[in-house]
Amino acid sequence: MLQKLYDWVDERLDITPIWRDIADHEVPEHVNPAHHFSAFVYCFGGLTFFVTVIQVLSGMFLTMYYVPDIENAFASVEYLQSQVAHGQIVRGMHHWGASVVIVMIFLHTLRVFFQGAYKKPRELNWVVGVLLFFVMFGLGFTGYLLPWDNKAFFATQVGLEIAESVPVIGTDIKTLLAGDPEIVGAQTLTRFFAIHVFFLPAALFGLMAAHFIMIRRQGISGPL
Amino acid sequence: MSEKKNNQVSRRQFLNYTLTGVGGFMGAAMVSPMVGMAVDPLLQAEGSSDFQYVMDVSEITQEPQRKSFTVPQEDGWYESESEQTAWIYRTENDEILALSPVCTHLGCTVDWESGDHDNEFFCPCHNGRYDRMGVNIADTPPTAPLPAYEYRVEEGKLYLGKAQPRGGA
Amino acid sequence: MHKGKGMKFVGDSRIQDKGQRNTIPKDYSEYPGRTEAFWPNFLLKEWLVGAVFLIGFLCLVAVAPSPLEQQADPNNSAYIPLPDWYFLFLYELLKFEFASADYVVIGTVGIPGLAFGALLLAPFLDRGPGRRPSQRPIANGMMLMGVIATVWLTYVSVTAVDWEQREQYSIANATEHEVDTEHPGYEAYSNNCMSCHGENMGGNAGMGPSLLESQMNVDAVKDIARNGIGDMPANQFEGSDEELENLANFIVDNRPSSDGEGEGNGEGSSEGSSEGENSDSES
Repeated sequence: MLQKLYDWVDERLDITPIWRDIADHEVPEHVNPAHHFSAFVYCFGGLTFFVTVIQVLSGMFLTMYYVPDIENAFASVEYLQSQVAHGQIVRGMHHWGASVVIVMIFLHTLRVFFQGAYKKPRELNWVVGVLLFFVMFGLGFTGYLLPWDNKAFFATQVGLEIAESVPVIGTDIKTLLAGDPEIVGAQTLTRFFAIHVFFLPAALFGLMAAHFIMIRRQGISGPL
Repeated sequence: MSEKKNNQVSRRQFLNYTLTGVGGFMGAAMVSPMVGMAVDPLLQAEGSSDFQYVMDVSEITQEPQRKSFTVPQEDGWYESESEQTAWIYRTENDEILALSPVCTHLGCTVDWESGDHDNEFFCPCHNGRYDRMGVNIADTPPTAPLPAYEYRVEEGKLYLGKAQPRGGA
Repeated sequence: MHKGKGMKFVGDSRIQDKGQRNTIPKDYSEYPGRTEAFWPNFLLKEWLVGAVFLIGFLCLVAVAPSPLEQQADPNNSAYIPLPDWYFLFLYELLKFEFASADYVVIGTVGIPGLAFGALLLAPFLDRGPGRRPSQRPIANGMMLMGVIATVWLTYVSVTAVDWEQREQYSIANATEHEVDTEHPGYEAYSNNCMSCHGENMGGNAGMGPSLLESQMNVDAVKDIARNGIGDMPANQFEGSDEELENLANFIVDNRPSSDGEGEGNGEGSSEGSSEGENSDSES
């Protein structure tokens, strides 16, 4: 049955080569922890991706209850955390996932750096990877304003002041982020929500696609 | 030879099954709390309906009276008062009847004796008609009687609960 | 040779690619050693690692509920801001003299800009062909210094924080605070102060600050009730001296920080922990 369905689609779209390209490649010994235990350092990239998937899924479900509005944001977070079945778990996954993904991406970056794996021909992939790192930081920064608790509010205020200290365009950056030159309030929250939920994830997906396509084209760098 | 070939296939097959199993475990462990959270509204026990004071029993007449009352409504984190109305009167058996004014056809609001419909509830949207007991009149759009509120009388005061649908006629 | 299972495009303007597409995946023949098929052999191992990781992660989530502090109150002057741990190195950097006040640009743009710019452009700065650490001491040395500096700054910042005090900001410990309505000063409080300072002395956004964090003694409270302070006008309290005495005692006694009756605080935290247990058992 499944085979027939697959054949039906394959006949029209010729998906076998795509599938083969993803699945049928050989993985060299030096990245396989089953051969050398020290190869576990190659896992960090995959784990970063895994936690990213957790973040995306849990974030999608959190928006079912969350309201990006200063009157209701806090109440809705408190409600989903204390009243909704498993709400505590799902918010916990998103909260701790944010920390874990930073740790994993940091370790992955260190692995690539100290192995010199960014050298020719993989320069571009490294640049994309560092951009991904920045996007993750941006997601962390915009994400923790959303519950609209004291920590969120005051940390964001500090963050915006840091942005303001940039010479010449600082005030404009701050206004652009906060929606108002002075107030950190309703407009800030909706902007941060939009950035956190739409703009940065879009950038994240684009960069991740580029990252993975480049890995498939170039292969993993050889052993040292 | 063929035996060996079968063997190879089954090894790959085995790995595929294990892979699916591990993947399924990861997916389930990840998604099940999230799905649990999403279906939470289905699991919420229906709030026991609180009865709200509407009017004194002594004021109830044979003639339906339109009464409004507010019901505290808890919608997740948002608490509000929702306003409801009822047609309240005594039937011929001297029983209290409190009817919801929501037409069972498409949810318009019915009115008592509006226009030239004596002794009937009338829905202006599609000319739906109900008799004095709130039972739909045959050959008009509604297919069920008007829902009746649960009620309770304490110390001469009438309290209304939830509107319950009555069997179709 | 056509692709897939006899695929033909009918009435299609595209020209079929006659040449064989290079879909042969890279093999690693240039690296001698054993290779393994990605699917299913290698992926299975990766997923086993992933499954173990996921179990650990879910344990963390179950054990440590995600924190939530009290609702944002822009007028809360007692609050000490603290970013998430992964921004602490930046936060700590700004405490240095050379990176604050007049030189704040160095701390906010200069140093992080240089560090992250160098990270971004690493392949173009470190262009030698050798990949071994011994062949690129400068690059590795700078990266090591950067990592050590980041870890150290984070560590210094974490140790400087009074985590026990921050516990109080948590919603579990604070909103449960309830005043003692049996206290002789409660009536005076509810008549004179409650409209601005809130039912449980927690303050009212835009109206009056929380009284819970103040450290004033009875006499100072009496003085403010009569004479006002800051935006608070004088003569908010109109009553006898005895009532005033009771009122001031009430406010001081019902603060969670007061040594006399730390009752409110105790209640709050026990409430919080039982909540945590509930949600754990739900999972």
